[in-house]
Order: sequence, then structure tokens, then C-alpha cells
Amino acid sequence: MNCPICGWEHFPAGGGRRTISAKGEACPYRGTAYTGLRAGHDQIYFGRWRRMDATSIDLRRACHQMERLLREIAGVLETEDLPAARSDLGKAAEALRAAGQGEEGPEALRYLDHALSYAHRVIGDLLHEKGLPPHSPGDFAGWYDAAEVPFREDW
Amino acid sequence: MIPLDRYPKDITLRDGTHAVLRPMIPGDAECLWNFLRRLPEIDKSHFHEDVDRLETVEGWAKSLDYESALPILAFRGDRVVGTVTLHRNRTGWKQRVGVVRILIAPDHRHLGIGTAMIREMRHLGEKAALNYLLAEVIEEQQSAVRALERMGFEKAAVYRNFVNDRGGHLHNLVVLLHPMSGLEKEMYF
Repeated sequence: MNCPICGWEHFPAGGGRRTISAKGEACPYRGTAYTGLRAGHDQIYFGRWRRMDATSIDLRRACHQMERLLREIAGVLETEDLPAARSDLGKAAEALRAAGQGEEGPEALRYLDHALSYAHRVIGDLLHEKGLPPHSPGDFAGWYDAAEVPFREDW
Repeated sequence: MIPLDRYPKDITLRDGTHAVLRPMIPGDAECLWNFLRRLPEIDKSHFHEDVDRLETVEGWAKSLDYESALPILAFRGDRVVGTVTLHRNRTGWKQRVGVVRILIAPDHRHLGIGTAMIREMRHLGEKAALNYLLAEVIEEQQSAVRALERMGFEKAAVYRNFVNDRGGHLHNLVVLLHPMSGLEKEMYF
């Protein structure tokens, strides 16, 4: 999954080391903890599948991206003692299965949204273990040309 | 016994500043009392004792028992800015249910302290092999309800005109439950 900003493969197994996009913009995720997980999450969070004119192809793409994100998260969790996060990862996988890998309809969208929420919570747990604040997609919204962000930290 | 070697734990707040989480120790009585007495009245409704009295908090500090009540305090410097306590029963039919109570200083809300504390409770609840975490919140405290829901708690019940504050006014009580990973393993008929 290439970062939409810089084209950099943010996941650990990835390739290029460019951190500046063709437009000259610096990747906003550069230097952040769990770069690939955060970029991967936001790519889905701000994805086309949420839009009114989304197609089944958009939904299938989002499901594949989610599948990959959960795999990467699972890899990171292997070395962490975070049972609550593991439990949430399981729930994310369950929700993704229920989303049916691209079946159309509001139910599929809802389950994919649930899977993303669980994934976000796991990423938050990982950051919390390092003493870092939770990941807030809103901080990166400008890079995705997003009209609005669904939630914010409240408490 | 829940392992506590993860403390003290440094957290970063949304404004970039830091706080430290750690279990309460007997020497924390006065700073905890200073925190409690400055809370809005409605936040203190659930206490059985008068927490505006230093003697009350000193009594808690002298009889700390982490197995039945584990208070985690959030410090900014020497000041307590939040507390979360995990209450457990050693025996009886609710021994697998941990009750969570969270309090945040009004001038430190919306910084992520509550969410960080809920994360700690989820971790500690798993380590204690609990089946559920339970939180009771007065319905007007919507920020708290939303934060708990975002962290996996689900509304189980709303009891109307169920609890009274120290002024005698009735409030609706929202009960939220967080199922823990051990629950599925234990369910049987």
C-alpha cells in the first residue's frame, strides 16, 4: 500500500525511501511512530468507499486495504503484551469478514466502518504503550482533501 | 495479583504536554484530597463518604488494598488531575466484574486523559482475567459516555431518576459494560 502523499511504502516490508512527493510535499507521516499503520488507517478512513457515489469496486478496494492493515497490525502485536488490543484486532477481523469482501449494501459499509474503528483503537493502544497521544485522522485531513472528519477526541 | 510494573507510565496529552499515571500510595492523600474537593458536586455524587474532608481520604490512603480497589492517579507535576479506580470483589457472584470509576479535573478535560485511563483499565481488566468492566455514569455527563463507548463500552441500561446528587436532585444513571476477551472462553450453560 503506497502512501497517497509521498508514494512511500510505509509498511515495514515496503520499498522506497522517498519522503517527498512528486509535488514537492513532505509526507506528513514521516517520523511518526507506527507510520505504516497510521498511513494505512487514514487511507481507508478518507477513502472513496465512504462517498455517496462510491462503487462496489471502491468498497472491494477498501476491504482489501483493511485486510492488509489488519495483517500489519497483527505483525506488530506479536511482540507486544496487549491483550485488549489483540481482542480488538479479533473484532476487527470479524467485522471485516461480515463486510463480505465487497458485497454491496449499507450493512457492508457499516461492518467495514466497525472494522476500521477497531483498528483505530488498536493503533491507539500501541501509541499509548509508547506514551504517545492517540492517532487523530483529523490532523492529516488536509492531505486527503477531506470535507469533514467524523469524530474528535472528547475526554 | 495484577502486575503493576508498567507504572509509572508517561502519557502525552493532546496539547503535547505530559502526565504520569501510577497507582496511589499512602503518601498521596493530600494531593488526592486537593483534587477531589475541587471537583464539581455532580462528580462526587457516587461517593458514600464526604470526600471534602481530608480525614476521609487519609483513611483510604492508610487502608489501600489493590486487590479490591486499585486507584490509578494522573499527575501533572505534583498535582493530581485525574483518577480511575478498578473495584473488584474477591468472592461472590460478581467477582469477574470490575467496576470502573473515572474522575477528571475540569481544567484538564478534552486532553485525552480520560481515554488514556480507560485504556489502562482495559489492560488491567484483561490482566485480572475479568469478564466485564462496568461503568456507571450520570446521563448528563455525555463526554464520559461517549469516551467510554469509543473505547468499547456499550450501554447496557439507563435507569431513570435513579441516583441523587448531594443536593438531593435525581438523575438518570447510564450503565455501560465492556466485555473482556476471557468472557467467551467462560460462557457455558
